[in-house]
Amino acid sequence: MAASGATNDEMMDIGGAELDNNKNEKMFTLKKWNAVAMWSWDVECDTCAICRVQVMDACLRCQGDGNRQAGGKQPECVVVWGECNHSFHHCCMSQWTQQNKRCPLCQKEWSIQRMGK
Amino acid sequence: MSTPARRRLMRDFKKLQEDPPSGVSGAPTDNNIMLWHAIIFGPHDTPFEDGTFKLTIEFSEEYPNKPPTVRFLSKMFHPNVYADGGICLDILQNRWSPTYDVSAILTSIQSLLSDPNPNSPANSMAAQLYKENRREYEKRVKACVEQSWAD
Repeated sequence: MAASGATNDEMMDIGGAELDNNKNEKMFTLKKWNAVAMWSWDVECDTCAICRVQVMDACLRCQGDGNRQAGGKQPECVVVWGECNHSFHHCCMSQWTQQNKRCPLCQKEWSIQRMGK
Repeated sequence: MSTPARRRLMRDFKKLQEDPPSGVSGAPTDNNIMLWHAIIFGPHDTPFEDGTFKLTIEFSEEYPNKPPTVRFLSKMFHPNVYADGGICLDILQNRWSPTYDVSAILTSIQSLLSDPNPNSPANSMAAQLYKENRREYEKRVKACVEQSWAD
């Protein structure tokens, strides 16, 4: 109850408070404040629905044992966006389009809108 | 030996454990991640209710670009299940997508039990009874349900 009426100044006044028996008695004081920030990639579809790895990381195929020493990522393992705005690893999509030229998520005809990192 | 198909299956297994769909379960066999055993519980409010139907799922190294071979081990009486347990389901054939995983396959088969498609029958007797004599169809299905507890 005592803290509920206190102003911010009173709450932060840690050392210098003259303890007035009734009014200034503090229930708690703020001693330390840790701010935490979160971030995520600013893309619409952040996981490749084919291999289930984040599109910004190397695809499952490129994460293979033989490629690990090269940092895991092949230069051609980039993100590809279709006209339907669905995104995949270029590696995963080029395997799939060899047998079916449709987007695996919406079944629309697959055509590349852009490619990049 | 790790291959893209095996690594994808490890992810499928992890997802199945962390986010298990209701009414189905599956796991790789002891020493072969390319061969899985699965169970589908018969959906409520269907003649398959209370059944515990066992299946095998066999993957190739081309997974997920090619669908696995899924087969019922339990005896089934269903318009879209062949006598050998093979399943006639579009998403396991021409409508396959590499975005499907074990969880999606099992839930699709579970919904096939609720909603058979008698127009592309794998078991013509089951399809005919489903369309023309639902009581007899349900009787034959119930027999499979009881048999599923034993195997």
